[in-house]
Amino acid sequence: MIDDLYFIEKYAYRTSIVHRLDARIKLLIALAAIVTIVAVPYSTRVYELGAVLFALVAALWAASRLPPTVYLKRLALILPFGIFLIGFQAFVKNPYYDVFHTIAALPFGIEVYAESVEFASILLVKFVVSVSFIILLSSTTKMQDMIEAAGRLGLPREFTLTLAMMVRYIFVFAEMFTRIRTAMATRCFDPLDRTLSYRYRLNQLGYTVGTIFIRSYEQGERTYTSMLCRGYGANAGLYVRKKPLRTQEIVFFAATLGFIVLSAVLIYVQP
Amino acid sequence: MHIPDAFIPMGQALVYWVIALIFIALALRWARRSMGEEKIPLVAVLAAGIFAIQALNIPIPWGTSGHMVGAALAAIVLGSPYAGVFVLTLVLLVQGVIFGDGGITVMGANIVNMGVVGGFIGYYGYTAIKRVIGNAYAAAFIAGWASLFISAILCAVELAVAGTFPLALGLTMMGTYHAVIGLIEGGITAVALYLIASARPDILEHPAGVSA
Repeated sequence: MIDDLYFIEKYAYRTSIVHRLDARIKLLIALAAIVTIVAVPYSTRVYELGAVLFALVAALWAASRLPPTVYLKRLALILPFGIFLIGFQAFVKNPYYDVFHTIAALPFGIEVYAESVEFASILLVKFVVSVSFIILLSSTTKMQDMIEAAGRLGLPREFTLTLAMMVRYIFVFAEMFTRIRTAMATRCFDPLDRTLSYRYRLNQLGYTVGTIFIRSYEQGERTYTSMLCRGYGANAGLYVRKKPLRTQEIVFFAATLGFIVLSAVLIYVQP
Repeated sequence: MHIPDAFIPMGQALVYWVIALIFIALALRWARRSMGEEKIPLVAVLAAGIFAIQALNIPIPWGTSGHMVGAALAAIVLGSPYAGVFVLTLVLLVQGVIFGDGGITVMGANIVNMGVVGGFIGYYGYTAIKRVIGNAYAAAFIAGWASLFISAILCAVELAVAGTFPLALGLTMMGTYHAVIGLIEGGITAVALYLIASARPDILEHPAGVSA
């Protein structure tokens, strides 16, 4: 995951209409889309809403001028656990249907149900749409901008300051982590090497984890002390400068939010 | 174990968010009161460290690799279950919003599973077992194992309540898998605790060598 950090942030530093859009708007639109697709009850109407929202995310992705391969690569990193849960659905009954029809019988008494396959596909649509909005958000918005945006939206300063510090130091520890990995490799130590005894490998990894813990704690102490030297106190917070939204941005936000809510309502109430 | 969006219906997801927010508020209070005056920056930097710890590939006996959670370790070293809650909340927030690992609507559930359960089981498991058997490292091992195993069980129960994964299958699959992964979490927690107790014993809120 830590290698993806640079991958994600590299694309967030590009520029396009979507990249330049205020982070507050991107944050709220992603949130609205995810809440909407999750809130719509499990039914086949999710397909239509999913298609509409996916078209929205695809249009925004195109406007961001990022290559589609970036999206696919990031999707491939996220999918596994969700796909594992979805893959099992076809073989089990769920409480959302009353009757189950067997469409295939496999050995060992395993059966595939038509309703369960349908349910699995509904989950898949909801899952892919929510994940796509997160990919769009983090591929077009710098982390620091996101935190400032959250601060402008009213996230308490305890959170903005802590998150800002954490995000800053994630990169420091990513560097440290890479150095540790290189150091292991230069000593021909591979934690996944099965010719070494398991106990030995676990011990070495335990020491590595302990070292990272101590180093991050000590870094925290140093940072805290130097912040105190610069006047940090109980009432200090992250400085978030005011940034008024431009008219086009407000119009875009209202239109997109309206589009998401309206399509959800229209699709849900249709007979 | 990061539940993705859509696997828990909105209503239930909100319930977990409320529970998570209560614990986050308590964790903030802990950070302000017991960490000294305002040591929140220190915990934030530590959270970045835990993020790196979670990135470490850890071998699992049958060949694949897994990851540590680290809530128990943070809670044991800093001497409060809220340390686990605080650190894991930050980590899960970054993982959810930046990486898409774990959903947004279900983040409350993920914070409850890994942060709250990990922190509380890790810390109270450690102190209780240490009192009984007197060995801090064995206690850390069991507490680390239990924190992960119970998190996984809770995750399976939540998915079953949501109706997206049957209980029996969830308990056997998630339970067995994490019962094994838990041994590694426990083992590494114990070894890391040993290293911290030897190298920086002053960090430890409760000295590991002396029984309380």
